[in-house]
Amino acid sequence: MAGTSRTRLVNPRLGTYFGIFAAALAALVIMALMFEQLGASDSAIRFLMLAGPIALYGAIGLLSPARETNDYFACGRRVPAFFNGLVLAVSALGGAGFLGLTGVFFAVGFDALCLSLGICAGLVFMGVLLAPFLRKFGAYTVPSYLSRRFESPALRVVAAATLAVPLLLLLAAEARFAAYAAAWLTAQSERLMAVAVVVCVTVMVLAGGMRSHTWSGSAKAIAALVALAVPATIVAIMMSNLPLPQITHGNTLRVLTRVESARGLPLVAAPLLAFDFPGEGLEPLAKRFIQAFGSVGSLAFALMSLVAAAGIAGSPSLLSRPGSSPGVHESRKSFGWAVLIAGVVLLTLPAVAIFLRLMLLDQVIGQPVDRLPAWFQALQKAGIARVDATTPAVGFGNVSFDRDAVLFSLSFAAGFPQALVYLALAGALAAALLALAGALVGSAVLLSEDIVHGLQTEGAPDSSRVGAARVALVGVAFLTGWLAVAAPADPFKLFLWSLTFSASAAFPVLVLSVWWKRINSWGAMVGMLTGLGVAAFVILLAEAGALTMPSVLAGAIGLPAGFAATVVASMLTPLPSRNVVNILQEIRVPGGETLYDRELRLQRLRGRSPA
Amino acid sequence: MIEWSERKAYWRHTKVQMLTSLLPFLLALIVLPFYAEVLNDARVLGIPLGYFLACHGLLVIAFVTMAVFVNRQDAIDHWHGAHEDI
Repeated sequence: MAGTSRTRLVNPRLGTYFGIFAAALAALVIMALMFEQLGASDSAIRFLMLAGPIALYGAIGLLSPARETNDYFACGRRVPAFFNGLVLAVSALGGAGFLGLTGVFFAVGFDALCLSLGICAGLVFMGVLLAPFLRKFGAYTVPSYLSRRFESPALRVVAAATLAVPLLLLLAAEARFAAYAAAWLTAQSERLMAVAVVVCVTVMVLAGGMRSHTWSGSAKAIAALVALAVPATIVAIMMSNLPLPQITHGNTLRVLTRVESARGLPLVAAPLLAFDFPGEGLEPLAKRFIQAFGSVGSLAFALMSLVAAAGIAGSPSLLSRPGSSPGVHESRKSFGWAVLIAGVVLLTLPAVAIFLRLMLLDQVIGQPVDRLPAWFQALQKAGIARVDATTPAVGFGNVSFDRDAVLFSLSFAAGFPQALVYLALAGALAAALLALAGALVGSAVLLSEDIVHGLQTEGAPDSSRVGAARVALVGVAFLTGWLAVAAPADPFKLFLWSLTFSASAAFPVLVLSVWWKRINSWGAMVGMLTGLGVAAFVILLAEAGALTMPSVLAGAIGLPAGFAATVVASMLTPLPSRNVVNILQEIRVPGGETLYDRELRLQRLRGRSPA
Repeated sequence: MIEWSERKAYWRHTKVQMLTSLLPFLLALIVLPFYAEVLNDARVLGIPLGYFLACHGLLVIAFVTMAVFVNRQDAIDHWHGAHEDI
């Protein structure tokens, strides 16, 4: 788009539009609160808090259709840095971050930091190492970038097949988390809700692809942040008189530490490579909150933060995001926003966990089994908490708590009106829907552009490329629905596996493709396949018990293996051609026309003039 | 548009900036959590220091790293004439 100014591309009224959305959301919540006080039925309030926000996201998605490829696959390259950062941060966390990570903080305290730090560091790595260069290239998918960068059509299919693995795992994980939140919100079965959320997300993004996903995603991200902030802030005021849960939980933490030692919570030391995160469902409190390396060994802690960082940085569903910013500088800025927003969320989640943990320790542990507080009895009845009554007083070993329910149980334990509990659930649902939509669009575009159309995509007219992407979207949606119903594993583990696969298969090759001149197409192909193979092999061995390391750390072996294989294979095969090196030199400089757009423009010019 | 003769200098400058952004951050990311237990005896805002540095500290370092990188890299682009002509 040479000659078009950045200011002309970006819609100046975006802030107004999303301000209206935030106001509508606030009005909805206040309305639900009033209805509840007026005695409306519980199911009506549930319906309002589920259908209201989803109708808003759906309306935004359906009202931003796209007919041109640039709109459908890259949102017209007109998303300003803040909105890109917002969507990036919340979809990097997703349902796994909001629901799962809070529960992990609740159960293992300090040791959960390895994941939160990893996710934040991943955004930094991606912003510094990859995003600006991928934006300069401007391809719609990672395989399309790699195949052009190395002038190797075969690499496109290999890369697409490789990247499908982390994408499918992410799809299954996020669909499960979304279904979990929706099931609590509607009191329906999780399987039914899995199908319902996949249908909802498909409808939201079908009309406009990346364009629908970006704008409805910004709305979802705002809803997720609001829904996280409101209960946490109110509880923070109740507990510390200050409305900043992120930094004022110090006093709460001191009380918590004292209560923990008074109640005799054990100090445990984990072996170096131990990685004992709570699984799905009801889990006991493992250790004292503040103690380091009680569930996760110190080596595993460092490895997990690096694997998570590389996994987020190489995640194919996030890597399509920089392509939608108006320029290279703007795409760098979007990562600044993303790190800021993700950082604030990642400071709020442990605060939520600390508040709930103190309530549990203070009011439940040590009490007689038959005289527990009302909120805890209600949680027990709902199946979120359980006490195995063997002793007259409740001890640590007897209490277990549903990992994914921690986020919304806080509102419940603090005695808030039901509408606020449903708000917390709707926020977690929004985060999961956002990550699900991102993965769904990412895999559909991968399928239609890189596999179905394969080698001659760019010659095809816009209508057929967009049409193929829509068909692929419906196909992937069916697959996701089936995966969400059929996948038996813990969704949080699926999320970690997805990070491990993208860390070992995608990250090494992508980094070297920008920062190392000697890499050639053989190196890229061998590197991706080796990373994928090694990670899969280690996961299989670890799950079978043949290897004394946790399977989610497979990336710690797969990542170096991927790097080594890329380097060795490149050195053993001929130098990259002059043309390939020229492309690399173009990518490294921010100025000048986006490479992919120039290719399309030249193709159109050739098509118009009779040869 | 950048001159051909400038490209090498530009890329060297960019590489140095990448390393100065990422290496200290990476070092802090790996090393800081190991000292958390020792530092926990001191407190900031009532939060044990080790936990505070590992949680709040690293997230702040990440944001500062990213913000400094964006501005420095933009300055490098302009210095070498490699910036976007918008």
